[in-house]
Amino acid sequence: MPRSSALSRVTCLWVAFLSLIIMPPAYAEAEQSEGKLMIHNFDPETGKRIIPNERCLTCHGDEKQKTDVRDDGTPVKIFVHQKQIEASVHGELRCNDCHTTIERVPHRKAPHVVVGCIECHKETWEKYKDDPDGKHKRLKVVNDQVGSYMQSIHAQPSKQDQASTNATCYDCHEAHNVGELGSIQRKEKRLKNPEVCGRCHEEQLADYRTSNHGKAVLEKGDSDSAVCSDCHTTHAIDKPETDKAKLAITKNCGDCHKEAQRTYFDSYHGQVHRLGYTNTAKCHDCHGSHKIQGEDDPTSEIHANNRLENCRVCHEEANENFLTFWPHGDADDRANYPGLWIFKVFMQILIFSVMAFFWVHVVLWLYREAMDHFQGKSFAEDLDHPDVVYFRRFPVVWRWIHGLFAISTMTLILTGTTLLFSHTGWAKAVVAFLGGTEMEGIIHRTAAVFWLGIFISHLLIAISNIWRKRATFKWFGSTSMLPNMKDARDLRDMFKWFLGRGERPQFSQWTYWQKFDYWAPFWGAAVIGFSGILLFAPEKTALFLPGWMFNIATLIHAEEALLAAIFLNSVHFFNVHFRPERFPMSTTIFTGVIPIEEFKHDHHVEYERLVANGELDDYLVRRPSRRADLASSFITTVLIMSGLALLTLVLIGLMTTPS
Amino acid sequence: MKRNNTTSNNIYTLLLGMLALVPATVLAAPTGQALSFTCAGCHGTDGSSVGPSMPAIAGMDPEVFVDAMKAYRDDQRNPTIMNRMAKAYSDKQFKDMAWFFAGQRLHLFPQEHDAAMAARGAELHKKYCEKCHENGGRPGDAGTLAGQWMPYLEYTMDDFLNGKRKWPRKMRRKVDAAIADEGQEAVPAIIHYYGSQQ
Repeated sequence: MPRSSALSRVTCLWVAFLSLIIMPPAYAEAEQSEGKLMIHNFDPETGKRIIPNERCLTCHGDEKQKTDVRDDGTPVKIFVHQKQIEASVHGELRCNDCHTTIERVPHRKAPHVVVGCIECHKETWEKYKDDPDGKHKRLKVVNDQVGSYMQSIHAQPSKQDQASTNATCYDCHEAHNVGELGSIQRKEKRLKNPEVCGRCHEEQLADYRTSNHGKAVLEKGDSDSAVCSDCHTTHAIDKPETDKAKLAITKNCGDCHKEAQRTYFDSYHGQVHRLGYTNTAKCHDCHGSHKIQGEDDPTSEIHANNRLENCRVCHEEANENFLTFWPHGDADDRANYPGLWIFKVFMQILIFSVMAFFWVHVVLWLYREAMDHFQGKSFAEDLDHPDVVYFRRFPVVWRWIHGLFAISTMTLILTGTTLLFSHTGWAKAVVAFLGGTEMEGIIHRTAAVFWLGIFISHLLIAISNIWRKRATFKWFGSTSMLPNMKDARDLRDMFKWFLGRGERPQFSQWTYWQKFDYWAPFWGAAVIGFSGILLFAPEKTALFLPGWMFNIATLIHAEEALLAAIFLNSVHFFNVHFRPERFPMSTTIFTGVIPIEEFKHDHHVEYERLVANGELDDYLVRRPSRRADLASSFITTVLIMSGLALLTLVLIGLMTTPS
Repeated sequence: MKRNNTTSNNIYTLLLGMLALVPATVLAAPTGQALSFTCAGCHGTDGSSVGPSMPAIAGMDPEVFVDAMKAYRDDQRNPTIMNRMAKAYSDKQFKDMAWFFAGQRLHLFPQEHDAAMAARGAELHKKYCEKCHENGGRPGDAGTLAGQWMPYLEYTMDDFLNGKRKWPRKMRRKVDAAIADEGQEAVPAIIHYYGSQQ
């Protein structure tokens, strides 16, 4: 190795070694010096200037100079209350975390207040939502509210200047003074709410000041009374003309006036409203809105002197009788509404007793027929010799009348119960499907006219039949529909049979349960029909009846309809279709005939009588064609399925009825 | 074999030579410092100037530095020769220099001043200047005034008052108010105050 080369290598190594030792302290010299250098005012990662809040508060926190002058000479408020902001939920933030356009202090240009709250709240929530300490959980509410705000009228572009929204976060929230839940700031903010809204909505504030709500809040400092956001919501605010706003406001009245809302929802007005429609009277339609007063105040819209005029806004022909209507009539309030209470008690006793009796009847009957079936004692079709001879039970006219009556009854149940169970999702869906509550009203009334027409037609036909046979007609004969003592005995014997203490009774042409099914609609038609007519056209009814009749009519119409809906779709279906001997259905009401063996079994007394009198042949017909049989099965199936569906909906409605 | 050994040795020497240069390469990396050598003639070593009409720029706010350099380059600020100097650099180089000077500690030199005027100046500063020129005018986003060379401050204020330099926002209003308050002695008093600071 040449010597010079070795020397070079040693030199190089030494230079490298010494440089590595000497250089780092040479670079670190600035940082090791005492005191703060300008570079420490910059974020080492982003290179952006760090502006401490104290720097901003030098000017903005100066209590002696709360305003400044803009470049154009106009005054501008610049004061920020340091203690307030430090106590607020944003107290730990730096000023320019929100005021992101402020990069230099002193400001090189006149600053615009550009603050974007939404992104920061969204990002912060995303960042901390899974934190176990739950410190940021309130941000979820904030972000939900942001979602509501974005859909609100306040987030729409302003008509005067499309570059900005009608209102934004800091127009309502004092961003420097947002208190935590339960803080004094929030209590103060609630009382200031009307003033804050009133900065834009001046007329409404002026009206509000005169109201009961306004006086309580603004004069007495009562934070329990309603402020703007209690009724209009805080963030999902919409124009008051919109359905969304009307529904929200009415719902919100009930947050405080719970009893009033409960009784309102029991009324026709409230039922329609709860379905999501706003064409009936809402709280503010009768009580007024911003100027709302108690009923004793002469300026109140519900004061006795002003009430009729109020009704006439919707019911143009309303007369004095409307004044006796109970808009918040409560059938459970015996002291104030005894008449309504009595009707309710009567109807409920009727419903419970009828349903209890017949459901016991159904259960026992099911038990007996099931037992007989398993023991091989029940009536069964002889498959080796199927009946080809049938007995004619119903002429064509009764078959049509029953079919049309069933369809119109089901239509009435469907459209009527949507109101009764307006709290359910299915009711809302059905009404939407039908095209709204007004269309539903038209369908209900049309079906009602049809239904009553069928009932009256049946009466006329029956009367004319009796009249034609008046010479020989036997009122209590074996084919009579009138109840008699045999029916009572049959009923007693049926229960004995159910319990295994006797033979199954032999029935005549019509059994007692068939007679009940026949006569029950007379009662139903009278009650539902009469109350329905009263409610059909309220202005006409009020010409001769007091307003409280609407309350009673609404109550009994609903209760009786409920009884009919449950009875027909459970008890009647069981008696006719679902008991084991008949399962899955009887098509007799559409074919008009039953197999002769079945007739012999079910109506043995009448069979014997006809045989004895030699009249049986008059009623015997051939087995219906396969096509007629299929058609009847199809119609019966459709009606049974519809009935069961209605029963299900009604039971869902009953079980979910708010207490 | 011998020849091969010689080749290996040469390669070793070359590699070691490169190793020796590594720290030098590191030295050359902060180009801001290299660029600042040009400034030293007027603004002193590392920005602490010794000539009383030359402003000290050590410890200067880097964004204020870049603003000033851009203003010179764009002929927006009354220069002596700075407009010519500034035209030679790119924005990136301005920034590099700015960060170099921002990292330097300002070495101040005692200046002759009138103590009474400085005391009055301190009051005026507090009333009219402190909100922008915080901490008595120490280096910040409004420049460096505390300990700054008084002749330089006088020239600068002359430029402002004679319309040779554009007033920053609000400064004219404040200076006018100070002069209205204290008369023509206001500006000199404030300059004495800054000159008095060490």
